[in-house]
Amino acid sequence: MRNVAAILFTGGLGFLLLVIASQLGFGEPPMRVGQGILDVAATEVGAANIVTSVLLAYRGLDTLGELSILFAAATAAGLVLGQRRASAAPDPEAGFILRAGADLLFPLLLVVGFYIILHGHLTPGGGFQGGVILAAAFFIGVLARPAESLDHTAIVVIEGLAGAAFIGIGLWALLADGEFLKPMLGTGTLGTLVSAGTLPLLSLAIGLKVGSELAGLMTSLSGTEAREP
Amino acid sequence: MSNVILPVVLPLLAAFLMQPLARLSAGVARLAGPLVLLAGLVLLLQLWFAPQSAPFTVALGGFAPPLGIVFHVDQLALLFAMAVPLFTLFFWDWSASGGDDTQGRARQDALMLLLAASATGLALSGDLFNIYVFYELMAVASFGLVSLRGTGPAQIATVRYLLLSAFGSVLALTGIAILYAQTGTLNLAQLGQLAPATLQGPAGLAAFALMLVGFGVKAELFPVNTWVPEVYATAPARIAGLLAGLISKLAVLVVVRLLVVVYQDTGAAQLMLVLGTLTILFGEFAAWRARDFPRMIGFSSIGQLGIVFIAFSIPGPWGLLAGLAVALHHLLIKSALFSLANRWSGSLERLAGGARSAPVAAGLFVLLALSLIGVPPLPGFWTKILVLAGLAQEGSGLHLTALGAILLVTAIEANYLFRFATTLYRKSDSPPAAPGRRDVGAAALIGVVIVVLTLQIDPVGDKLRDVAREAADRDGYISTVYPSAQARAGREVSG
Amino acid sequence: MIELDFVTILYCGAIGLLLIGAAGLVMCNNLFRMLLALVIAEAGVNLLLILAGYRGGATAPILGFGPAGAPMVDPVPQVLVLTAIVIGVGVQALAVAVMVRVYRAYGTLDVRELKTRFEFEVAAEQGIEPPGSTEGPAGGRPLSPVPPRPQHGEARP
Repeated sequence: MRNVAAILFTGGLGFLLLVIASQLGFGEPPMRVGQGILDVAATEVGAANIVTSVLLAYRGLDTLGELSILFAAATAAGLVLGQRRASAAPDPEAGFILRAGADLLFPLLLVVGFYIILHGHLTPGGGFQGGVILAAAFFIGVLARPAESLDHTAIVVIEGLAGAAFIGIGLWALLADGEFLKPMLGTGTLGTLVSAGTLPLLSLAIGLKVGSELAGLMTSLSGTEAREP
Repeated sequence: MSNVILPVVLPLLAAFLMQPLARLSAGVARLAGPLVLLAGLVLLLQLWFAPQSAPFTVALGGFAPPLGIVFHVDQLALLFAMAVPLFTLFFWDWSASGGDDTQGRARQDALMLLLAASATGLALSGDLFNIYVFYELMAVASFGLVSLRGTGPAQIATVRYLLLSAFGSVLALTGIAILYAQTGTLNLAQLGQLAPATLQGPAGLAAFALMLVGFGVKAELFPVNTWVPEVYATAPARIAGLLAGLISKLAVLVVVRLLVVVYQDTGAAQLMLVLGTLTILFGEFAAWRARDFPRMIGFSSIGQLGIVFIAFSIPGPWGLLAGLAVALHHLLIKSALFSLANRWSGSLERLAGGARSAPVAAGLFVLLALSLIGVPPLPGFWTKILVLAGLAQEGSGLHLTALGAILLVTAIEANYLFRFATTLYRKSDSPPAAPGRRDVGAAALIGVVIVVLTLQIDPVGDKLRDVAREAADRDGYISTVYPSAQARAGREVSG
Repeated sequence: MIELDFVTILYCGAIGLLLIGAAGLVMCNNLFRMLLALVIAEAGVNLLLILAGYRGGATAPILGFGPAGAPMVDPVPQVLVLTAIVIGVGVQALAVAVMVRVYRAYGTLDVRELKTRFEFEVAAEQGIEPPGSTEGPAGGRPLSPVPPRPQHGEARP
């Protein structure tokens, strides 16, 4: 009975959406906002990657919200999972390939992660993508050697300070220039690493926050988080 | 004026720093949350009482709309934005935390602050995707708070609520995608400008239906309110009260903004009317059959939210006034009832004789119940009359059906609320534990507010009428965001 | 009829993913499968959003990437999808965390069984009679052990 209802529901939804879509002109979007941004992004913000300039400048508040959502999810997961059970047996150490691979990959992943974060305003990338790579860098170390857990205090402090830095840059713009999250520090030369004002700094803050957050989330999921002091 | 962003951003900042702060000094961390909320409240009160109470917009980041995000601050937005820190503080956890659980308390406080920040942003924002992001933040924070008790049933309720809410968000995002594909913009005012030309067809209406069901998960709309009984039975009463009272109203506010600014002359209101009527019937019948106190008042809140939806579907300033009145009244009553539910959490039978151990609480319950049912001269009566009069004025078959449904449901409400009241006042050998003094005090505070409202119903009604008239003015909304609205509209239609 | 060009196929694919996710969410009986269905649905909606910004024959919105003066696709949906993906990741991670707790507490992720245990435990906590019965369906498929309902005439606990 439930399956019949489900099939009817999805069939109806599908029919509705297909009918609607045949009327929408995909391939020729109205681009009201899009064209406006494409025209002025280079001069107003100065980032070669227009998607990043939209993410961090035009829609900066959405990015702050997104950052907070990730923070809320990690905090809620920490609340739900609680501490590692004292009686739980420690996970066995991983085999040789994983340990050697983790040792080799850790510095490489760090470099790639920071590269993607810092070049977010020039090429596809940015804080979130690079932050996930940073989290992976720390997490394979934990997978390879479960006994060595990540320091919970360090994770929490980096997470908190990076998030506060993001908001701090925005508040500085509010105090100095009158609007929250207005791009400061000029636009620089298009296409160079030091351009687009505060955007690389915001990317860095996002990258550090996301990296430490996801590393903390993954370790609390795997139960290898260090006990609270 | 750009400071209006601070009530959103400062709680976020405090939430981010809450855990590191708790490691430094637990005392400071406990105080940081309420202080930040108070600061935001003071700022909003300043704006409310400012001499120029005309609505204004703030272009965030200095980017003019529609390229950037705008905050549209009118009286309706300020009213709800002020309710957020007030009720978050009302439901704040002031109890002393266990000695070694500072991290857990810090996490809990951080989630409450995130809830408050996102709710404030939701009230003030004028950009559709920004609203979606804040709605998601509200949802994720509430997931964490609902599972607070940590019992098995609480986790089950959390995961089912999470899956339903996430599915609702997928539907809402589909609606936003359809809107964007049709119009190319996300700014509510610009969507309002373009709506007569582009959104009249099935695509626009389908987008509204998707967004209504998507955002309706939090607003406890039929058919996506199956999470309500499970969550209200297992979450702490404070969190349930916050969800039922404050958060659901903000979700309704989102739908109302869409209805008023973008979908004003379409059949969208009819859909709300139908779903609202189904919601009332579902909610109140379930409340009549409920056998424990938290679920009884939880189901009753579904019913009241159905009335809110019906009220808002009445066109024009009348509908907004009626909906606003019912919403605010329900916010007050439910918050008080859930404070009482903190201790009165067992089955209804077990609460027999509660009047003997807690006479003040029982008396308060009677007062609140009378206002909820709509007995004159309490404020509840006026709110219901506004809705019924508005429906009668419309006169169509659908509206009269809704009117009949509301009357039927009022009778059911009276039945189960009085049934519980007689249970309370019955003689019993083992009266239940009395609600704590803080809970009774909080509920008494709201009781006093209700009495004051009863005596001052005229000036309050006039102020609400003012707020509603301003909010229903769609052209006013558009011209606040785009001062040269006429020139812009001409260019858009031809361009 | 609809022409079968590239964008239309992608569009149908996006709707299809959304429908598979929706059907899975309603029909599955295992919590984890419901989560996977949700992930699929979210992927479908993200694809739909990106398609809303696609412009035939245009290049990526990065200055200096394509030929100068070439039209670029709409950057805004790409930002929207970036945000939506991150939100999705957060929600999915939290869902997995809660499911781990549920599994630790009950040993199962089957929705029907969890619902029964939920009703019984909440009823026991509140002191009311639980709905339903503990007897298995005819044919001898017993449910997992749950506290027995007090017999008629026995004192209620």
